[in-house]
Amino acid sequence: MIEGIFVEGLIYAIMALGVFFTFRILDFPDLTVDGSFPMGAVIMAMALKGGMAPLVGLALAFGGGVLAGFVTAAIHNHLKVPHLLAGILTMTMLYSINIRILQNRANVPLLRVDTMLTQVTAVARGVVPESWALLIFFILVVLVIKLALDLFFHTDMGLVFGALGNNERMVVVQGVNPQTLKLIGVGLSNGLVALSGAFAAQYQGFADVNLGQGIVVSGLAAVMLGEFIIKSNRIGFLTLRVILGAILFKAIMYLGRYYGYYVNMTPNDLKLITGVLIIASLAITNYRSIRGKRGAAS
Amino acid sequence: MIELQQVSLSFGAGTINAKTVFRDLNVSIAAGEFVTIIGSNGAGKTTLFNLIAGSLMPTRGRISIGGRDVTALPEFRRARRIGRIFQDPLAGTASNMSVADNMMITCKKGFKWPIISLTRKMRERFKRHLAALEMGLENRMGENVSTLSGGQRQALTLLMMVMSGPEIVLLDEHTAALDPANAALVMDLTTRFVRQQRLTTLMITHNMNHAIAFGNRLLMMDAGEVIIDVKGAEKQALTVARLLEMFARVRRQSFENDEVLLSATAS
Repeated sequence: MIEGIFVEGLIYAIMALGVFFTFRILDFPDLTVDGSFPMGAVIMAMALKGGMAPLVGLALAFGGGVLAGFVTAAIHNHLKVPHLLAGILTMTMLYSINIRILQNRANVPLLRVDTMLTQVTAVARGVVPESWALLIFFILVVLVIKLALDLFFHTDMGLVFGALGNNERMVVVQGVNPQTLKLIGVGLSNGLVALSGAFAAQYQGFADVNLGQGIVVSGLAAVMLGEFIIKSNRIGFLTLRVILGAILFKAIMYLGRYYGYYVNMTPNDLKLITGVLIIASLAITNYRSIRGKRGAAS
Repeated sequence: MIELQQVSLSFGAGTINAKTVFRDLNVSIAAGEFVTIIGSNGAGKTTLFNLIAGSLMPTRGRISIGGRDVTALPEFRRARRIGRIFQDPLAGTASNMSVADNMMITCKKGFKWPIISLTRKMRERFKRHLAALEMGLENRMGENVSTLSGGQRQALTLLMMVMSGPEIVLLDEHTAALDPANAALVMDLTTRFVRQQRLTTLMITHNMNHAIAFGNRLLMMDAGEVIIDVKGAEKQALTVARLLEMFARVRRQSFENDEVLLSATAS
């Protein structure tokens, strides 16, 4: 079971990294995630069903996510729609699009379909147990994504992203179009989210258009939990703590699901728990910063 | 270098709150001029900067920079040739990023590609530039800008602006939020950079002595008009008393602005 928590945590960590990019670095609360996560899942499912190589499916899922992000950013940039509304619009439209991708079905099972994960377990058969093989695989995948992101944030473009969320004025004065940056940033973020959805579909063995419901909130919970674990300003730690936060979040959800019945809790209450978790994180952060300010004043 | 021809700007045209800021304003700044701009609150000084930089679009008229019509050009495109510094020391830097990261972002204008330019060589270059500020910042390149004082931040902003190689510099009361010692320091740096790089500079100030002491041309603005424009030998010979006398003659009223007058007598 413990491997399961970690694997699920790592899959969600990819999504949480995307959420972290928009919420924390771009300061662009992006709700497209609720639509781009299942989009990644359905694209992957249909690619596999169609007999494509899993890597091609992943690339298509990533591309789909990027496009979804572009749409949100374009609505925000050109129609001067607030980012929250732009995200909700895209997310709503994606629901129909996802059903279309699944050819007018709400879900598709991936039983007896060769996925990336069945390939991994086939390779590892006899060497390590199946669940551990998956764990090692996902640790590697997330590590590669994390390091690629760290590297990206050290490039000139990555640095400007850091400044954009902090001081948009400065970016404009520097001769950079903030709209272009938002397009790239929200696109990349949703690409990661869709990638996460593609892995989730393969791990769960099915793709469902409702897979994304409330996913952005769980991503945000992961980001906030991570911020409790490590206090740092270095990008390497920032991405690391998002991953740890996602695993911790999954662990808390597991506890809720398996031991919740002692307190009369059902799996239906998990969304409520997620929300309460975020509110509690916000309250504690607020309390800390108020106390911090008083401490500095006295 | 900068030409404003028949520029008008009004807000809320056709409504009861219609407000005209400029009516057929003409301003011409030659290359290499260092112009100080003074005037009471609401005279349109910052609005003039907003029009030049492109943060505001004129209702009518033409704006050109370096002989090129930029009237329809968005702010970020014009910004490649304009260095702008605001009164708020926080406005020019990203506070949650290190000094080196801030310098990397601002040391050159234009779109940034995903390549790594912040190499050891680049850090050495930044270090040399920072050392020239004589504020000890060369040893704090890894620290967040938020740990710097207002004066240090503004000096850093000024340095970064100059490194980006602008043709035109817009300084909007950039020393007003600093204590006198830091203000003097930043002002010294400003004149040094302007002279070294032969930058075409416009500087808004509330300090009449600064307006007279610095630069080679002075504009006084009032109610959206340039009412006094002195340059050359006349500017060199200008005194506070003479300036007030000129104002009284143009406006047929005495100049009553406590803030500006107080700053003139105090320093």
